[in-house]
Amino acid sequence: MSFAAPILLLLAIFRSPLFVVIAASAMLGFYSEDIDLSVVSIEIYRLAEMPILLAIPLFTFAGYLLGESQASTRLVNLTNHLLGWMPGGLAIVAIITCAMFTAFTGASGVTIIALGALLYPALKQAGYRENFNLGLLTSSGSLGLLFAPSLPLILFGVVAQQMNLDQPVGIDQLFLAGIFPGLLMLILLSIYSMTQPRNTSEKRSFDTRKALAALSAMKWEIPLPILVLGGIYGGYFAVSEAAAVTALYVLVVEVLIMREITIRQLPDIMRNSMVLVGGIMIIIGVSLASTNYMIDAEIPTRLFDLIQRYVDDKLTFLILLNLFLLALGMMLDIFSAIVIIVPIILPIAVGYDIHPVHLGIIFLANMQLGYFTPPVGMNLFIASYRFDKPIMTLYQATIPFFVILLIAVLIITYWPALSLVLIGG
Amino acid sequence: MNTVLKSVHRIEDIMLVLLLSAMIVLASSQIVLRNLFDYGMVWADPLLRVMVLWLGLIGAIVASRGNKHIKIDLLSRYFNRTSNLLIQAFVSLFTAWICLLIAWHGAHWIKLEYTDKMIGFAGIPAWLLEIIIPLSFALIGIQYCLISLSIGRHFYRRSKIRSGLRE
Repeated sequence: MSFAAPILLLLAIFRSPLFVVIAASAMLGFYSEDIDLSVVSIEIYRLAEMPILLAIPLFTFAGYLLGESQASTRLVNLTNHLLGWMPGGLAIVAIITCAMFTAFTGASGVTIIALGALLYPALKQAGYRENFNLGLLTSSGSLGLLFAPSLPLILFGVVAQQMNLDQPVGIDQLFLAGIFPGLLMLILLSIYSMTQPRNTSEKRSFDTRKALAALSAMKWEIPLPILVLGGIYGGYFAVSEAAAVTALYVLVVEVLIMREITIRQLPDIMRNSMVLVGGIMIIIGVSLASTNYMIDAEIPTRLFDLIQRYVDDKLTFLILLNLFLLALGMMLDIFSAIVIIVPIILPIAVGYDIHPVHLGIIFLANMQLGYFTPPVGMNLFIASYRFDKPIMTLYQATIPFFVILLIAVLIITYWPALSLVLIGG
Repeated sequence: MNTVLKSVHRIEDIMLVLLLSAMIVLASSQIVLRNLFDYGMVWADPLLRVMVLWLGLIGAIVASRGNKHIKIDLLSRYFNRTSNLLIQAFVSLFTAWICLLIAWHGAHWIKLEYTDKMIGFAGIPAWLLEIIIPLSFALIGIQYCLISLSIGRHFYRRSKIRSGLRE
């Protein structure tokens, strides 16, 4: 047994599919306890017993549709006409549009690809420094993870619900808990943007006519967040049903009303989005098996006892947690990190009297930072490719944004009420 | 062989599109029926959940076609092309082995469910709903066998060209 862990780790960093590494570790565990290996298949079948999982393919598909349509252009246009006249206006436009877009499409780098093409030249023209533009767009690529209906929020809820905690974790609770921490990040970044020097004397004023035109171009997409959140909190439908409504609504709007996507394009968009979904679902499936083994073997309990010997207060634990999650976010993509690490640390965190919903927000906020933490944060490479800049330039450009969002993450971590006030926890 | 592969791929693609479309229609009509007519189709919810399983696993098969599964990529930048290919071949064989092992044991479970005449829901036999698990892992395993095979063929050809040049 003891020799297997390093071998599996080696296979993982040499690009084995993660689901295989997780499955292998679960099978090894079951094998060592003489449990028949068909248990892995039986555990995977539990995918068909979790109603919430329906939300994953449907929200993902809706996000891909929005990504393929011209919605990003129209969104930038609208926010620009509403906010562009303010000091730092265009930068704030970039921050808000990226956050909204990421919440619906997931932080798979699509924000940088789709919105970067529009915002990068626009920011340049508005006279911002090159490094500011690069840093802003790279770090905005994962902004909005904390806003509903982002996939990582849903996935955290799914995994937490498997743990049978005393305090159940509702996905609707997570959606509410993310609002203020997410806003905190937007506000801190906006304040920083307002202080940025610009080498242009151009002053813009608010143009009511243009703003109304931009509003009207967006009239079909604007009801979407209201529809999703209003439907869930108004009690009309569950989170998974909200996903169905969103998918159908976006499909009708972009294909039949706006006609920005043709019916011929649909099969390819469906297929591409379901490749991502397949990659996530198979990881969830095998991790149901590995989590089950871990709980049976009481690994989180034993780990908790071990940690408690060295860390006896909540504060020290939170500091260590932040450091650990930052390192994790650099190396693992957010979906695998949630599926692999949450089952281990959630019971430990609850042992330190941390609310599970608060832990979810801490976890995702840290992961969001990991997306552009040098040297291996994924969005650094996507931005380097997209803006055709050397990776070292991006390391430099993102430093101030990293510091600002790190401050936000620390506030989120050590001020639980910010996350919990809306759920009354 | 190639035509067989191509038609299997085509079937997978078509199933993905059909399943996703059906899920959107079915889930939406559930909401309309419940909120407007206070009526629900009892079989719709378990059916939707099974469709999620099938959709996810078929998506995973399609993902393995282009080796698009989620993985950690920290080191490939530090190796040259040849070493990366060799590593890929080895890792693919490992992946195939694990997947085929899951498929094999899964098939045994399905056989038991079949002989025990287990029922899933609405009178549908359970094995019919569950069969996608061994099936998908078998197909993913085969896909990864093919990946390492094609790398092997690449090296074989290259060595042949080299020895041809020497002569």
